[in-house]
Amino acid sequence: MDIPGQLNVTTSEEEVEPILELTPELVQKRRSQARIIFDRFIRNRAALLGAAFLILMFLFCFLGPTVSGHIQPDVIHPADASQAPSLKYPFGTDYIGRDQFARAMAGGQVSLLVGLSSMLMAIVFGIGIGSMAGYFGGLADNILMRLTDVVLAVPLYLLLFVLSASYSDGSVTSVVFLIAIFGWTYTARLVRGEFLALKEREYVLAARTIGAGHFRIMFRHVLPNAAGPIIVSATLLVGANIILESVLSYFGFGLHPPSSSWGNMISDGQPLFDVSPWLVFAPGMLIFSTVLSFNLVGDGLRDALDPYMTER
Amino acid sequence: MGRYIIRRSLQAIPLLLLLSVFMFLLIHALPGGPEQVIFNPHLDPVGRANLRARFGLDQPLPIQYLKWLGNCLIGNFGFSFATNQAVSTVIAQRFPATLQLFSLSLLLALILAIFLGVISAVRQNSPLDYTLTTLSYFGLAMPAFLLGLFLQDIFSVQLHWLPDSGTTTLGYTFDPFNAFIDHLTHLILPVTALSVLFVAGWSRYMRSSMIETTKQDYMRTARAKGVSPASRLVRHALRNAVIPLITVVAIDFGSIAGGATITETIFAWPGMGSLFFDSLQSRDFPVLLAILILSGFFVVLFNLIADVLYGVMDPRIRYS
Repeated sequence: MDIPGQLNVTTSEEEVEPILELTPELVQKRRSQARIIFDRFIRNRAALLGAAFLILMFLFCFLGPTVSGHIQPDVIHPADASQAPSLKYPFGTDYIGRDQFARAMAGGQVSLLVGLSSMLMAIVFGIGIGSMAGYFGGLADNILMRLTDVVLAVPLYLLLFVLSASYSDGSVTSVVFLIAIFGWTYTARLVRGEFLALKEREYVLAARTIGAGHFRIMFRHVLPNAAGPIIVSATLLVGANIILESVLSYFGFGLHPPSSSWGNMISDGQPLFDVSPWLVFAPGMLIFSTVLSFNLVGDGLRDALDPYMTER
Repeated sequence: MGRYIIRRSLQAIPLLLLLSVFMFLLIHALPGGPEQVIFNPHLDPVGRANLRARFGLDQPLPIQYLKWLGNCLIGNFGFSFATNQAVSTVIAQRFPATLQLFSLSLLLALILAIFLGVISAVRQNSPLDYTLTTLSYFGLAMPAFLLGLFLQDIFSVQLHWLPDSGTTTLGYTFDPFNAFIDHLTHLILPVTALSVLFVAGWSRYMRSSMIETTKQDYMRTARAKGVSPASRLVRHALRNAVIPLITVVAIDFGSIAGGATITETIFAWPGMGSLFFDSLQSRDFPVLLAILILSGFFVVLFNLIADVLYGVMDPRIRYS
């Protein structure tokens, strides 16, 4: 259509593009914060490998039994006792003929669940204690941080051994609880530090001005901004807790039968290490690679979430 | 500096008191007592009461705590339920072994960590750096007991190069020189197992500290005034980069009184860690309590030492 006094210029996309090309930042697609972090994370090959391995490991432990048909971790096959790994028994059998492949998957479910749930519990304790200490400061901070100091000053293994020997009934719940009640200290210190720094920000003042309560400010305003370091420490904590559980089980303070984990499998297999090394190798390598993957993902997240790491 | 040390030491006292209350309550809340250790099915109620009275367990808890604390301060940790020896004697028998294991491992780990960390930092992002990084990730993901088992299997069961456990070869009498060599061969595996774990963490720390230091302005100044690369590396960068590591090492050394529970148990090393393990299995509470309080004390002490060292070595840090 012709508007009087105006040149008939067609402003199609093709003609506009070249002009904008000169200023690339305008062409670049706008990305959300999560997208930026995700893009950074997947560029870290080691972290990506760790994440892929973890997904595989979860599939292996939770879907593996149904897919492979190795669904009977506790059934004894006396005729097949102490067999080296073969097609029928990919991880071999132990001296009473239990299928180690089925046990590795069932044990993996326990190990992963213990690692994850004790991490969740420890993180919740840590956030609760750290946020109160950091946000309220003063007396609350003093009391809570002295408590943290006391727990940090006790050698973890000694304390865990004493408590497990006396109070743990060897169930998954009690082991998770024991690991969690001493695992929160690092997170608590971290969260406290974040809260100390963040509570001075303008947006906290703004929230207070419009009448937000302490609880709302702490958990709706400050906590989301401290999420990065917490996620990183949570990821690393899963690996640490899996190791801790395996150490407890190895020394006989962890899970009792019938629940068995990778740690139990190692302690069961250890006396026969020189004749049937596969009894220790398979669960050992599973622990090793799972913890390694959690550490790689945790460090990858740390780099991806680092606000000072500028884009290219 | 002196004022700072005194202030920090005074701050440590309430922490230690709190720690002692915590440990004391913890151990006393545990089920069992001497009558469970000195297991005698014919023990009648009178004998039981006598036994409890002898170990002071018939008194109210706060009184027991104060008595115990007072005795602790003069180095008297009571008597072992299991052997009736003084706890201090039992610990004095075991501590040297742990001290030996720890000092050697930490020294070896420190040298290796500095060396590997500096190489990684200087050749940042080279294949060598990636290899070392990968190895340290492996070391950090390896449970200590698994590493101990593998070392034991490879070097003593399969290759027969080294003894698998203990401190001396039994059934032989050696002249002093050969006894010393024999002892050294027994040390190799536990020291390796323990130091690998430390090296994995410390070398990462050293690497990032070294990279951080080489970015400082004074490094550029040194380069501009023509200091040779080797001298720049050692006299300018390393001296500053090693300071944070030393404090980490000091803190890690604080765990000595608890011993290296895992490594000591696997290699049957008669140190504090295996003493703790044995006492736990025999429910020898006075020994357990003594080890717990001593290890807490050492952790607090070495944290303090780490803080003070940091101030001494890095004059930029001035504590107010």
